[in-house]
Amino acid sequence: MAIKFKKVDFKYQGNDNKAYLALSNITLNIKAEGEFITLIGETGSGKTTLVQHMNALLTPLSGDVEIFGVKINRENVKKKRVKLNPIRQQVGLVFQFPEYQLFEETILKDIIFGPKNFGVDEKTAIERAKNVIKVVGLDESYLSRSPFNLSGGEKKRVSIAGILAMEPDILILDEPTSGLDPLGRNALLDVFYNIHTKLNKTIIIITHDMNTVYEYAKRVLVMRDSYLVYDGDPIELFTKKNIENWNLDVPDLLHLINQIETDLNLKLPKKPRNETELFTQLKAVLK
Amino acid sequence: MKNIVIGRYIPGNSFLYRMDPRTKIIALIVLMVAVFMIPREAFEMMFVGLGLILILLLIGKISIKRVYLGLRPLMFLLLFTFVFQILFNKTGPELQAWTLNYSFLNIAVIVAIVVFWMYTKRFIKAKFIYLILMIIAIITVLNQLTLGPIFATRQLVVHEDALMIGFFIMMRLIIIVTLSTVLTLSTKPTDLNLGLEAVMKPLKYLRINTEEMAMIISISLRYIPTLLDEANKIMLAQASRGVDFSEGKLKDKVMQIISLLVPMFIISFKRSDELANAMEARCFVPGATRTRLHQLFWSRLDTISLVTSIIILIGSIAVRVVT
Ligand SMILES: Nc1ncnc2c1ncn2[C@@H]1O[C@H](COP(=O)(O)OP(=O)(O)OP(=O)(O)O)[C@@H](O)[C@H]1O
Ligand SMILES: [Mg+2]
Repeated sequence: MAIKFKKVDFKYQGNDNKAYLALSNITLNIKAEGEFITLIGETGSGKTTLVQHMNALLTPLSGDVEIFGVKINRENVKKKRVKLNPIRQQVGLVFQFPEYQLFEETILKDIIFGPKNFGVDEKTAIERAKNVIKVVGLDESYLSRSPFNLSGGEKKRVSIAGILAMEPDILILDEPTSGLDPLGRNALLDVFYNIHTKLNKTIIIITHDMNTVYEYAKRVLVMRDSYLVYDGDPIELFTKKNIENWNLDVPDLLHLINQIETDLNLKLPKKPRNETELFTQLKAVLK
Repeated sequence: MKNIVIGRYIPGNSFLYRMDPRTKIIALIVLMVAVFMIPREAFEMMFVGLGLILILLLIGKISIKRVYLGLRPLMFLLLFTFVFQILFNKTGPELQAWTLNYSFLNIAVIVAIVVFWMYTKRFIKAKFIYLILMIIAIITVLNQLTLGPIFATRQLVVHEDALMIGFFIMMRLIIIVTLSTVLTLSTKPTDLNLGLEAVMKPLKYLRINTEEMAMIISISLRYIPTLLDEANKIMLAQASRGVDFSEGKLKDKVMQIISLLVPMFIISFKRSDELANAMEARCFVPGATRTRLHQLFWSRLDTISLVTSIIILIGSIAVRVVT
């Protein structure tokens, strides 16, 4: 297991000295390889807080998080008994708001900033930058531009490129597709999916889009009110009845499948995960 | 970072919170004048002032720890004025004189002390006291040790006036900063804005746009905590890309600070732009006459507080006249 949460609680200290509960009693295991996880839940349920624990940006108030064998808890961090920096190379985290990550004069410098911090030499870093900028769907001419006069979606892509260039073992993306056009969104999701299938890396995506969850995820985590209320298979989640209680809804495709099954009075052998699967199954059943 | 209190409002419930912001601002000015009225010769009166401040904090239910945190950034300024006085103020009777012996070995010992201090200070909680201890240690070394050939001697003479005036200025600063902290701790930014505007009204006749000034001040005060939160978020984002804010050589440190400052600037410019748009979208017209949702009310409490402040002012004027 690469990431292990054991009974983790976390509170934010607000300006008015009140504490805001953000994580309660989270126990969770994530493998280093082969997982494609989506993390969903209503706004303010603690998703961002949870993933910030996964690369040791935040330290649990009680309980502990183990990341690639390094035990992160209040005591270890306070006494500086653990080195946090290597963890951040192993677990790459793309932030929800790209503004916080961009600061260099050019996009090239911004992308190589991460790798250079982790000891990659400049030449290799530039190679990687040229590669990842294409991976996220921008062309090489962007590298010499300033990161500040970009559109929201372009900024998002650049900040993703900056993390991809670090070549982390586990890739975590906090709402990577918000603010992107539909085609761009699908292209980017395919990028993550390819990284997952080709390199067998674990990917964790926070999203509010149920279609993404249904189509891509092998495993889904649901947060509600600082608790982890579901950890398991997406189909099982969406065929349960009370997901409205968690402010979630059923993916479009599943709606369609349900409609087809009731209207045509048939039963598909296995729930299809995308349109192609649906049509092949339909053809087989209708023959 | 979390501990910076300047300009931060902390909700609470005491007479300070119920007072009209106008009263608080005027009282602050009156009390500051009172502090400045106290002449140097009557420096014992500063203890009375300090006592009054403590009483104010106690009955106003303001945590002394908060105020202390607000004073902490000033500590070095205070120490500096004190040292400055002792070194250069040579009036009044002599209190104590030390002979300082300069020799190469003595200087080597001092360098050793400073290096030791620099490396150990990170493990010491009371940094300020530690600094003072170091200074005392250096003076003692120069005074007591005579290692090797001495090439120069100096006298360090402390005069009574230096001690007195140093102490006096320190007290004055502490009292003034505490009073201002009490104002911002107990007044909501919106109330502060209303109060400032009302108090500055007379300046209108000098063709100064008081409304805008009040707005600028209150917006700046309002944004200090927000910017601190932003800085925190940026630090997290940079840490996730391998910036280690707790370690690193000087060159790395410079890079780290740049990686923090640039996004801070960009974000604050963007914020102010957005704020301006948001204000205009809600039909804010600079300079237009406005009605208020919140009206200020003058109550008996305000009269009592103001009268008390004026009595204190009169008291300090009396002290000045008498001495
Ligand atoms: N810096 C902070 N200070 C105080 N409270 C915070 C802070 N950051 C988050 N919170 C609170 O912690 C809770 C969880 O926040 P978090 O950002 O993890 O939510 P989220 O699930 O990522 O939401 P979203 O979908 O909107 O991104 C929220 O109630 C939020 O108000
Ligand atoms: Mg979030």
